[in-house]
Amino acid sequence: MSAGDIPITTSPAVAPTDLVQPTRWIEGSPSLHRITTDIAQPMEARPGRGWWICFGIASAALLNLLGMVTYLFAKGIGIWGLNNAVGWAFDITNFVFWIGIGHAGTLISAILLLFRQKWRTSINRSAEAMTIFAVMCAGLFPLIHMGRPWDCFFIFPYFPNQRGPLWVNFRSPLVWDVFAISTYFTISLVFWFMGMIPDLATLRDRAVGGIKKFIFRILSMGWNGSQRTWSRYEIVSLVLAALATPLVLSVHSIVSTDFATSLVPGWHTTIFPPYFVAGAIYSGFGMVLTLLLITRVTMNLQRYITFNHLEAMAKVILLTGSLVGYAYATEFFNAWYSGNVHERFHFINRATGPYAWCFYLMVLCNVLTPQVFWWKRARRSIPVLFVASILINVGMWFERFVIIVVGLHRNFLPSAWGMFYPTVFDIGILIGVFGLFFTLFLLFIRALPMIAMWEIKGVSHD
Amino acid sequence: MKVRVIVIGFAALGAGGGLLARGATRIGVHQGYAPEQPIAFPHKIHAGDNQIPCLYCHSGARTSRHAGIPSASVCMNCHGLIEKQTTEIQRLKEAVQQGRPIVWNKVHNLPDFVYFNHSQHVISGVACQRCHGAVEHMDRIEQAAPLTMGWCLGCHRSEAHVPTSTFARVAKNVRDRPTPFAGEDCTSCHY
Amino acid sequence: MNRRPACEEAETAATAIATGSPLVQIGLPTGTRSTGFEASRRDVLSLMGFSLGALGLGSGCRAPVQHAVPLPAASTEMVPGVPNLYATTCGACSASCGLVVKQRDGRPIKIEGNDASPLTRGGTCAAGQASVLSLYDDARLRGPVWLGNPVSWEEIDRHIKTMLNAGSGDPRAVVLLSQTITSPSALAVLNDFRVAFPSFRHVVYDPMSLAALREANRLAHGAAVVPHFRFDRARVVVGLEADFLGTWLAPVEFARQWSRRRTADGERAFHVQCESGMSVTGSNADLRLAIAPSELGPFAVALLAAVARRVSDDGLAGLRGAGLAPDAPHAAAIDRIADALARHRGEALVVTGSNDVATQLVVAKLNALLGGVGKTVDLEQPSLQRQGDDAQVADLIQQMNRGAVRALIVWGANPVYDHPDGVAFTAALKKVPLTISLADRRDETGAHVRALCPDHHFLESWGDAEPVRGQFSLRQPLIAPLHDTRSGVESLLVWAGRPTDHRTRLRDFWQRELHPRALGAGPFEGFWERSLERGVVEMPQPAVAVHAFAGDWQGAVRDIVTRGGRPPTEAYELALQETVGARDGRHANNPWLQELPDPITRLTWGNVACIAPATAAAQGITTGDVVTLTTEVGKLELPAFVQPGQERRTISVAIGYGRWAAGKAGDGVGGNVFPLVRVENGLRRASAPVTLSKTGRRARLAPAQTHFSMEGRDIVQTMALGQDKHEAEHEHEHEALPNLWRERLHGAHAWGMSIDLDACTGCSACVVACQAENNVPVVGAEQVRKSRIMHWMRIDRYLEGDGEDVISHHQPMMCQHCQHAPCETVCPVLATTTSSEGINQQVYNRCIGTRYCANNCPYKVRRFNWHNFTANDDFPFNMTSPLGRLVLNPDVTVRSRGVMEKCNLCVQRIQLAKNQALLQRRPMADGDVATACQQACPTGAIVFGDLADAQSRVSKLLAGRRAYRVLEDLGTRPNVGYLKKITSKETT
Repeated sequence: MSAGDIPITTSPAVAPTDLVQPTRWIEGSPSLHRITTDIAQPMEARPGRGWWICFGIASAALLNLLGMVTYLFAKGIGIWGLNNAVGWAFDITNFVFWIGIGHAGTLISAILLLFRQKWRTSINRSAEAMTIFAVMCAGLFPLIHMGRPWDCFFIFPYFPNQRGPLWVNFRSPLVWDVFAISTYFTISLVFWFMGMIPDLATLRDRAVGGIKKFIFRILSMGWNGSQRTWSRYEIVSLVLAALATPLVLSVHSIVSTDFATSLVPGWHTTIFPPYFVAGAIYSGFGMVLTLLLITRVTMNLQRYITFNHLEAMAKVILLTGSLVGYAYATEFFNAWYSGNVHERFHFINRATGPYAWCFYLMVLCNVLTPQVFWWKRARRSIPVLFVASILINVGMWFERFVIIVVGLHRNFLPSAWGMFYPTVFDIGILIGVFGLFFTLFLLFIRALPMIAMWEIKGVSHD
Repeated sequence: MKVRVIVIGFAALGAGGGLLARGATRIGVHQGYAPEQPIAFPHKIHAGDNQIPCLYCHSGARTSRHAGIPSASVCMNCHGLIEKQTTEIQRLKEAVQQGRPIVWNKVHNLPDFVYFNHSQHVISGVACQRCHGAVEHMDRIEQAAPLTMGWCLGCHRSEAHVPTSTFARVAKNVRDRPTPFAGEDCTSCHY
Repeated sequence: MNRRPACEEAETAATAIATGSPLVQIGLPTGTRSTGFEASRRDVLSLMGFSLGALGLGSGCRAPVQHAVPLPAASTEMVPGVPNLYATTCGACSASCGLVVKQRDGRPIKIEGNDASPLTRGGTCAAGQASVLSLYDDARLRGPVWLGNPVSWEEIDRHIKTMLNAGSGDPRAVVLLSQTITSPSALAVLNDFRVAFPSFRHVVYDPMSLAALREANRLAHGAAVVPHFRFDRARVVVGLEADFLGTWLAPVEFARQWSRRRTADGERAFHVQCESGMSVTGSNADLRLAIAPSELGPFAVALLAAVARRVSDDGLAGLRGAGLAPDAPHAAAIDRIADALARHRGEALVVTGSNDVATQLVVAKLNALLGGVGKTVDLEQPSLQRQGDDAQVADLIQQMNRGAVRALIVWGANPVYDHPDGVAFTAALKKVPLTISLADRRDETGAHVRALCPDHHFLESWGDAEPVRGQFSLRQPLIAPLHDTRSGVESLLVWAGRPTDHRTRLRDFWQRELHPRALGAGPFEGFWERSLERGVVEMPQPAVAVHAFAGDWQGAVRDIVTRGGRPPTEAYELALQETVGARDGRHANNPWLQELPDPITRLTWGNVACIAPATAAAQGITTGDVVTLTTEVGKLELPAFVQPGQERRTISVAIGYGRWAAGKAGDGVGGNVFPLVRVENGLRRASAPVTLSKTGRRARLAPAQTHFSMEGRDIVQTMALGQDKHEAEHEHEHEALPNLWRERLHGAHAWGMSIDLDACTGCSACVVACQAENNVPVVGAEQVRKSRIMHWMRIDRYLEGDGEDVISHHQPMMCQHCQHAPCETVCPVLATTTSSEGINQQVYNRCIGTRYCANNCPYKVRRFNWHNFTANDDFPFNMTSPLGRLVLNPDVTVRSRGVMEKCNLCVQRIQLAKNQALLQRRPMADGDVATACQQACPTGAIVFGDLADAQSRVSKLLAGRRAYRVLEDLGTRPNVGYLKKITSKETT
C-alpha cells in the first residue's frame, strides 16, 4: 500500500546508536488483522474499570464547570478575584494554557508528516484529538471572561448591522485571536477527520450493529480502498499538512501579541512569539505524554505506543524545555539591558515580589524538570516520564499566570498597585475545564480509533 | 441525485442564514409602532388641515432635549374658544377640570444610552418630518423611521457639509441660518 | 441595559410638584410608571441576555410600552430637560458657604459653589457636594413622631403646646440645645420664643469646640469672638493643630485665601504646620513639625519667646528663661519660624485649634506682637461660627438631672452621640418631662426623646446665614418637601404661639432688620429679589468693640510652664481629628462620604488609630492589628494604621464614626471616639492621655491605595521656588518625543485640562463632585477591599521619607485623555476611541467588557462594573433605592454590569455648552464649560478648556514652564497636564 513506498529514514530524534538497525516502532510483529482487532478493541469491548473511574471524575468536574459558568453568567465576573489593578488572571491564563496544549497535535500530524517521521504514526491520532478538545476548552474563555458575554457577537465583523455599519477594531490583537483560533480549529478538525476516514471505513466494515454501521457509513464518506482513492488521499493529506504547518507558528505567535503589543511591563517584549510557540509545543507534548501514558495502560496498547515513542517525545520535551528556559533568561537580560525603570522593576518584582513563589515554581517545573531527560534511563522510565509530564503542565500554567498577573498587579503608578486573590469560582472553573477536556478525550477513545490503524500498518513490517 | 441533495442543502443553509441575518438586524427596531392613545389626537387635523406649527405645541423642541408633549392647558388655549365638541375633546376637558395629567403612550423611544437633543436639530434646520415622517397626514402617530444608529449616521454623514476640523461651521452658524453641525463622534450621542 | 432616568419619570416629578401631590411619589412612582420602569429594565436585561436566542426568533421581541406624562398646566419656569440654577446656602456645616444648585425637572441633582460669594468664590467641600444625596436619604423621617407613633403635625403640636404652656410661670427652664446657629433670622426667632417662655435658654455646643479661643479673645481684647482669620493677607502662616485647609472653621474659604498667597512667584507665603496627626493642612505645609497636643502650650510659649527676642519692643525678652521649657521641642525649627514671622510683621498669622485658654492667650499675644490684629486677625468683623460654650452643656446636664428643665428641644445637634458625656446626657434626658428632637432622622438622641419633629433638609427650606459678620447669604428651597417635614423655625414659631410660615418670617426679618442697613439697596422688593437671585449680600455691620491686647499673658505662660510639657515618655496621647469625609459625623449615612477615601490615609468606610512608624515598630503593631485605646473615661477598639508623619507619642483617631442610629450606610462603621475625652473645667478636650494595647485580632481595612512610595519615578514633579523663572531650564520640555503613530489632528476643539499640583490640597471636593455629576456608583467596603472602587477621579497620595518628617504629595488622577491612547488600540470593538475633539470617549453600549483597555492603561484610571451596582440588593446604596435614584443626573447614562467606564471630561457639560452656543448663535468662548471637578475646587487648581484655542487659560498654563505630563516618555500624549509643585524651604 501507498505508505509502503515512503523511503525508510531514521528519526533525527533517535539516538545515533539506533542508526545501525532501524528503530522498530511496534513491539513484536503483529499481523495486520491483529493490529485492527487490537486497536478496534477499546471501541468494541466493554470499557474497563480504569476507564470508568477516569470518566466518573472527569464528568463530575465537567458538571461543576457547567454549574459555575451558569452562576457566572447570572452574577457577572465580579464573582472572580479580578479587580481594577488586575483585569485578567485565571481566565486568560487558562485560555493561553489550553491554546498551548493544542499545539502538539498539529505539530505531530503536520510537521512530522512532512518530515516523514514514522514514530508519529502511533500518537498522531490522539494528539490531534487532544488538539481539538484543547482548543475547545481554550475557546471557552474569551467568551466567559467578557463582562457582557451576550454581546460577544460584537467581536465578529459582520454586515449588515444596525450600527452604521460599525466594524471591529482590526488593530486589536483580540480580533486577530478570533481569526487565528477559528482558523486553527477548522484546519485541525478537518485534518483529524481526514486522517480517520480509512479507519472509519475499516470500522464500518467490522461493525455489526445496524445503527453503528449506518453512522460509520456516513462518516467514512463511501471510502473504498482502491488505488485511486489512496493516491488522492495521500495528496490531500500532504496538502492539508502544508496548510496546517504555518498555523503551528501563527496561532501562538498571535496569541502572544495580546501581550507583546501592549505597553505593560513584562508583556511589552518582542521575544514573545517564538517564546510562546516553544512553550506551546513544550506544554503540548507534556499533555500528550500524560494522556498516552494513561491510555496505553488503560486501553492496553503498550504494543503500539512503545518506549521508543515515549523516548522520542522526551527528547522533544528536552529541546523545547531548554528553549523556554533560554527565553526566561533572555527576558531578564533584556529588562536589565534596556535600562527601562518599569521593565527592571517588573522583573525584580517577579523574582522577589508577592508572587515570587509562582515564578520559582515555574522555573523549577519548566526549566529544571526536563533536564532529567539527558539520561536515557529517565527517558524510558514510565514513572519519571509521568511525573515530569505532570510537572510540565503545572509549570506551563504558572508561566502564563506569572506573565499576566505579575505584569498587571504592579506597574506604572504605584498608587494603583493591587493584588489578585483567586476565589472559589476561579479555581472551580480551572478544575472544571480539565473535566471538560478529559470527558471529551475519554469519550473519544471509546468512540473512535485512537491510533491510526492504516498508518501503523504502514510501519509494522520494516 | 447526490448533487441535488448537496445543492438543496446549501440553498437551505443560505436561505436560513439570510433570514437569520435579516431578523438580527430588525431586533429592537419598532418602525411602524403606532399605539392607541388615551385621547385619539389627530395630528392630521391640527398640523395638517389647520396648519398649526409643530413648535406651537411642542415648544420644548426649541430649547430642550425633549420636544415634550404639550400640557392640557396648552390645548385649552384653542379649545377654550372652539365650540366643536367631540368625546375626545370632552375627555381632554375632564382632564383639565380634574387637573390630572394625561398619560400618553410614547411612540418614539430611543434606548436609555442614547442622548438625543431636539433643540440642537431644530436650530440646525432639520425638519421635524425627517425623523417623524409626514405627521400632518397621520391620524394616529406612528414611528416612521427605524431610529437605528445607522439611520442617524446616514444624515450625520451626508449632512456634514463643512469638515469638523475647522471653526468654519461654527462661524457659519453665527453668520447665517445655522447649517447642520453633524458630529460623528461617539460622544455626540453616547455618554 | 444602561438606565438613564427617563424623561417621563422626571415629568412625573414635575407633575407632582406642580400639583403639590405628596412628593414621596417621585422616586416611588405609582401605577403605570413604576411597573413601566421595572418592566423595561427587566425586559432590556433579558433582551440583552438572550439576544443570541433572539437571533433565531428574528424580530420577535417588543419593547415595553413607555409613557409620557406632561404637566397638567404648563410651567413657565420649568421646561422638562432644561436645568435651572438657584442660589442658596449650604447646610452641611456651620460655614454656610454660598451655593448654586442645579435643579433638573424639579429636583436638585448637583451642588455647585456660588462664584458671587466673596468668601468662597465658588468653592465647595466634599461634605457640601455630598449633601444633595442626604436629601434623598431613606433614613429620613417621613413625618412627626410622638412617643414612637407617627402622628399629624396638628396632634404633635397639641401635645407639645399643652406641655409647654401647662407650667406657664413654671420656673423650670425651657432649653434649646443646638450646635452653632449662623442664621440671624433663626436667632431672632429664638427671641420670640424667649418672650413666650421667660425661662427659655439657648445652649450651644460644637463637637470640635473653640470655646477657649473666644474666652482668650475676651481676656485679651475684651470681645469673646472667633476672629475672622485672613490667610490671604499673611506672608507667613503658622498653624498649631488647626486643620484650616481641611476641616477647621471655614476650610473652603481658608483654602481659597491660602492658595491665593501660594503663588509660584516671589510673593509666595510660607506655611508652617505643627500638629500631632497628619492632616490635609499639614500635608501641604512648606514646613511641618510633629508635636504632641501636650507640647502645644510649651511650643507656643517657646515661639512667643523666640519672636519676642527678635521684635523685643517690650520686656518680653526676659521671659525667654522663664517660658522656654528646658527641653523645648524643635528649638532649631522654632528659631527658623520666629525669623520668618519677625521678618513679616503685620503679614504674619498664627492660628491654633487648641481648646486651652492659656495656649490661645499666648497665641493671641503672638499675633498682637506680630501686628496681626486688625490685619490677619479680624476681631471687628469676626466669624460667627463655633459659638459653642462647653461649660453651659455640662451645666445643662446637671440641671436636667436636678429636674430644673421642663422642656428640652434639640435642634441640629446630636449630643447623645457626639458629646463626651453622651451617656450622662442620655440618663439626664429621662428626667426631662418634654424632650423634642428636630433632627431629620431618629438619630442617637432622637431615640430617647418624646417628640420627633423632623426639620426640612436645607435644600427644601428657606433660611439665611451670616457665617462672618456682615456677610449674609440666603437659602431658598429647591424642591417641595419630599416628606411630611416642617422647618424647625416654623415649629418653634408654632410652639411659641406665633405660627408663621418660614418664608414670610424670613422676608419680614430681612425687611425689618437687614434692608435698612443695606446702603443704597433701593426699595425692598428689588433688594429681596436681587439677594435671592445672587444668594449672597455684603452688608457692613457695626464693628465689634475691641481694645489692644491687654491679657495676662504672663499668667498664661506661667500656667503652661507649671503644667509642664508632655507626660512621662511611656504614656501616649490620644488626639481627636476631624477628617474631610466624616467631619463631625452628621453625614454618617451618606455613602458618598463614607466611600470617599481620606486624603491622608486613603481609607474608606471607617476610622483607624493612626500610629507613628517608630512606635508601631516598638510595639510590634502593623497596619490592621486591632488595638485597644483606653483613657480614664472610656475605651475603644480600633484597627491600627501606621501613619508616617504621625507624632511618635500620639495616636490620632478620626471623629464622626461609630454611629448606631444614622441609617443603613452609616451604622456601625468605625468607632466613636468622642466618649474617650473629657470636659475639663468647662472646656472640651480634643486630646487625652491614653494607653495602647494589642488585642491580637486583625481587622480588614478598606483602602483605596496601598502603596505610598513613588519608587523613584517622576510621577509628581516639583521645582524649587523661583526655578520656573530661569530661562535656561526645562528648555527641552514639550518638544515632542518621536512617535510611530500618525499625529492626531483635532477638530473644532481639543479639550484639555491643567491640574496645578501646587494648588491642590487634596481636600477631595472634586472626587465627590465627579461622583455626583457622573452617576458613579457606591460599591461598599467589601468591593473597595478588592480594589474595585469606582471613582473616576482619585487623589493619589505619595510620601517621601518616613518617620515623623515626611513630604507628602496629592495628585488628582483621572483619565488623561491620551491622543495616542493605549486603551484605544486594544479594544476589539471600538468601544473606546478618541473623538475629533480630543476626548477619549468610552461607549458603554458598545463595550463587551474584555478589560483589555484597563490592563493597557498606564494610569489605571479605568473602572469596570464588576457587578450590577444599580440593581443588586448586595449594594444597598442610593442607586438601588427608588428615592436615592432621584439624585441621578438624567444627562449621564447609568452604567450596567460588565462595562468599562472612566472620566470623559464631563462631555455632557461640553455638549450642553456647545448647544447653548449654537442656540445663541455664537462661537464657544473660553470658560463656557467647567467640569464638575473644576467647579468644585476651592483653590482653582483645575482648569479646563480648549487647547485648540491658543488664548485659552488651559493652553497658556500647559505651555508654561511648570507644565508636564505624567509618564510623558510613554508617548501617550495626554490632553491632561499637570503643573509642577513648588517647594519653598524658606520665606522670600
